[in-house]
Amino acid sequence: MDIFLQQLVNGLTIGSMFALIALGYTMVYGVMKLINFAHGDLVAGSAFVGLFVFSELLGGQISFAVVLGVFALTIILISLLGFTVERLAYRPLRNAPRLSAVVSALGASMVIQNGIMLIWGPQMRIFPELIPTIIWDIGGVVVSLIQVLIMVLSMLLMVGLYFFVEKTKIGTAIRASAIDQDAARLMGINVNNIIVTIFIIGSSLGAVGGLFIGLYYRGITFNMGWQYGLYAFVAAIMGGIGNIPGAMLGGILLGLFNAFIAGYISSTWSDAFTFILLIVILIVRPTGILGERVAEKV
Amino acid sequence: MLKTKAVAFSLVASLCVASPLLAEETLKVGVQAPITGAYANEGQGIDQSVRLLAEQINAKGGVMGRQIEVISCDDEGTAMKAAICAKDLVNKGVSMVIGSYTSTCAEAAQATYFRAGVLQTSDGTSDTLTEHGYWTFFRNSFPNSAEATFSAEYMVNEKKYQRIAILSDFSSYADGLATAVEDAVKKQGGNIVAREKVKAGAQNFTPVLTQLKSKDPDVIFYAGYYSDGGLIRSQQVALGIKADFIGGDANDNVDFVKLAGNAAEGAYIINVPTPELLPYDLAKDFLAAYQAKYNMMPPSIWTILNVDGMRAFIHAMETNQSFDTKKAAEYLHTLKDYPGITGPISFAPDGNRVGSGYMTYRIQKDGTYEIVYK
Repeated sequence: MDIFLQQLVNGLTIGSMFALIALGYTMVYGVMKLINFAHGDLVAGSAFVGLFVFSELLGGQISFAVVLGVFALTIILISLLGFTVERLAYRPLRNAPRLSAVVSALGASMVIQNGIMLIWGPQMRIFPELIPTIIWDIGGVVVSLIQVLIMVLSMLLMVGLYFFVEKTKIGTAIRASAIDQDAARLMGINVNNIIVTIFIIGSSLGAVGGLFIGLYYRGITFNMGWQYGLYAFVAAIMGGIGNIPGAMLGGILLGLFNAFIAGYISSTWSDAFTFILLIVILIVRPTGILGERVAEKV
Repeated sequence: MLKTKAVAFSLVASLCVASPLLAEETLKVGVQAPITGAYANEGQGIDQSVRLLAEQINAKGGVMGRQIEVISCDDEGTAMKAAICAKDLVNKGVSMVIGSYTSTCAEAAQATYFRAGVLQTSDGTSDTLTEHGYWTFFRNSFPNSAEATFSAEYMVNEKKYQRIAILSDFSSYADGLATAVEDAVKKQGGNIVAREKVKAGAQNFTPVLTQLKSKDPDVIFYAGYYSDGGLIRSQQVALGIKADFIGGDANDNVDFVKLAGNAAEGAYIINVPTPELLPYDLAKDFLAAYQAKYNMMPPSIWTILNVDGMRAFIHAMETNQSFDTKKAAEYLHTLKDYPGITGPISFAPDGNRVGSGYMTYRIQKDGTYEIVYK
């Protein structure tokens, strides 16, 4: 039982990170029907920017204020980067065929990835221990401070986002644009502004995810965005791409599934099982767990 | 018109002067190392130290009048790129190759060098490297089996661990070392409670560690590379697993301590002496030159071991007064006690380096090593 609970805690931790990153994919897809391949690389970039902000801008001394500063500045810088990507790589192709935008997304991904490599080098960089290693042993189940922080902060951000999208005026505009861009425009919604908004929100959540990866795993490499991006993308599809609660659910399920497969079967096979699960879900529910059934327009 | 003629003439004249210089033959030395990727700092260390040694030899007039030309190929630590590198270096006409850092990459390239008659030296410790019977291959480090005997001896007889857990990744070095340690521990009457494998570069090792926790080991022996070892150590401590941590030789790298962070203190590492501990004058001079040129210390002992492999090759060619690789190999197979940076170099007929002196280090609070057993 201890082991089960321990794997549960481990799974929830990585699941929360996947969920945060998956939201970036799903929000952009919801409105633009575009897979933003550059999102995973923004996440990787966030870990490097966080490292840079900490050691170069804020002096490299760990304190509570500095940790807050690292989060705040990194989120601002990464959302600026997300904004730039949207402006340069996607907006000029707004009315182009869907495939052009996908290729542009892949290109943006490569530019960011190689940019990280050119600036910070190809070798693994080590993220500082900003959060002290404090662990609690609760009846044989060990939970660390960083795990608690990751789970609680991710939950808060996701709940906040849910209410933002469901209850505010901008949130309503986002939902309207997701349903039908032309109709939304006729209702007086500036769809371009909405797209900018979702890019900024998605990038900010991704930035937090990237910082969590750095804090939790310590070793960061320029090409890790691909790996986390893929997992988050799978999570988004599992939950139903375009659906915000779906991405959250998909992320957490994927994290738990990964932890249990690795723990009870073999870590070698966890990826294989993850993709088998994805295939099964897509066969049973082609639009994902929470995805809405959309009638095919013939 | 006159002007163009003059220009043309001077061009022809300069070509005539330049061509003998261009035609001058060089001794081409290949470096096959993971210059990018997870093991980048080791690969860069090997590349930098080979270039430093070449520079030193060239300053003294080269090898029998020929200047050394270093050609590097980045194998990224993957077998696929290693095979491509091997073909590339052979096509470029190298007569010796230094590398690679990982056994997997050295092994993937071995056959190509053998067929082309190109000498190869690697620090790869996988026993299989010298089992193919390639006359071109020379190991500049010591094989897994030697380390396994030492590690088992340390765990079973010195530390008297009752419940030993062994962890490795899937690479030929790590899996080979783990299997050798497992056999050696059993031979010495030790008790192994778990033998697990992780995927190199996975970053998240908590599921496997949680599984290990249930077996209640008093030591975790990790045969694998520093880039994963440091993370495993830090996650082990974060999960509250009280067991000791012993890292095999490839955990010996400055980045291990950085990755493990506060958890590094108290971890053990088993390896041959680190660069700083080498008592030889040759070692002190080389390290000082390295520090002066690159403004840092080599990332680990592996860098220096590879330099020794190259020094032995050059020594063989100079002794034979010939660039013939077959002759050099014949000489090297009986080489005895040639003074090396990492101690006397002797090769066995199968290309293994003879002699080994392992040590157990304990990592202290400031990240430095303390020798606890040798």
